Amino acid sequence: MIQLFQFLARQRVILLFLLLELVNVWAVFKYNAYQHSLYFNTTNQWAASILSTTQEVKTYHQLRIVNGTLAQENARLRTELLRLKSQQQPLTKLPYYVSEAMLNRYQAVATRVIDQSTRMSQNYLTIDKGRADGILPGMAVISSTGVVGKVMSCTENLALVVSILHTSNSVSAKLKRSGELGYIKWPGFQSEVADMMDVSKYKKVVKGDTVVTSDYNAVFPPNIPIGIVAKVGLEKDDTFHDIKVMLFTQFSTLQYVYVIKNRLAGQQAQLETTKPKSE
Amino acid sequence: MNVNVNFKWFFSVVFAIAIQVLFLRDIAIANVAFCFIYIWFLVKAPMQTNTWILLVGSMFVGWLIDIFYNTHGMHAFACVLVAWLRPVYFRILTPANGYDERSSISLAEMKWLWFFPYLFLMLMSHHLLLFILEAGDWTLLGFSLLKALSSSLLGMAVFGILEFFNRHE
Repeated sequence: MIQLFQFLARQRVILLFLLLELVNVWAVFKYNAYQHSLYFNTTNQWAASILSTTQEVKTYHQLRIVNGTLAQENARLRTELLRLKSQQQPLTKLPYYVSEAMLNRYQAVATRVIDQSTRMSQNYLTIDKGRADGILPGMAVISSTGVVGKVMSCTENLALVVSILHTSNSVSAKLKRSGELGYIKWPGFQSEVADMMDVSKYKKVVKGDTVVTSDYNAVFPPNIPIGIVAKVGLEKDDTFHDIKVMLFTQFSTLQYVYVIKNRLAGQQAQLETTKPKSE
Repeated sequence: MNVNVNFKWFFSVVFAIAIQVLFLRDIAIANVAFCFIYIWFLVKAPMQTNTWILLVGSMFVGWLIDIFYNTHGMHAFACVLVAWLRPVYFRILTPANGYDERSSISLAEMKWLWFFPYLFLMLMSHHLLLFILEAGDWTLLGFSLLKALSSSLLGMAVFGILEFFNRHE
């Protein structure tokens, strides 16, 4: 304490100097209209820029929540979209109408991907909703850009999805322009590219055509985009085109996916079991 | 320093402030050269004056000038800073054989080679600070510099003339 006082006594001139200058600066900015406004504007500017930076950081941290909300909303919109699409009248003169049950057969549920692989030859995703949210094995899973896969098994709160990047998971598909049917199968490498099989070499296939899910599909709703025709080849004595399809879904950055519940899937499967077995 | 000299110095300070406030307030040559004769007390204060007395004194005088100039705090700020810098200038300008114990600050005693650089440093630091504070805007820095320089030159002329007349005491 004594040393402190000694220090103050030794430095009394500089302290006095600083004190007086402080008083003067205060007076300059307090009593001169121009300098006062200068101080006011400058500090406001700084404060504003600091606050806006803070706001940006905060917004960034809220992105996760915002993503979740947007995914929920997308799910709702997708349900609506699928309903509207099936409502479209086909070009026919028959007195055809779509039944209410058909209209409402699809419902989308937004879920978060909590684990996934893309580099194996059999790839799976784990999503954060399960039986408690009405998710059952066999349901279709799509992303905002295209197909993802189908639900293989569920627990109460989680579900395992077989990705279309799986050598034994094939999806019935058609070419959008010509309506040619075939199916999509992943050859087991390169998570961006899949093969389209079963398209006859006598049909015309154009590079750049969009590949979508077909109407004859128990799992996926019709017309969900799958990918784009990147390369068309033909082996000498093949009967089918060799088509490479660039997939729309970016599997490496998937965060939210939509599980599509098909309310009539049970009925369809039940009906199909009543088919008489051939032979 | 006897009482008579003290009294004379005090009287001169009051006189300089009065002239500053009453006559020189509204005078500017070509809008860039201002005469601040009131710094006389800071320039001429005896070399042995305590710095803290000088600080309080310059604060007081600066504040007084501010009241009349309607520039609260600016003159006081510049004055206090110059009072603080004065010993530094003395150190910078120390002549080869040091200062005489009894030397007072005048043209006659210190010769012009010491007196005018000293005067320039004092005036320039005061004016520069004052004009920058007054402008309050870095885009006007060039104009502030011009004003400070021309005012300092004018101040040196005025103080030179005063010293010239004070030579024979």
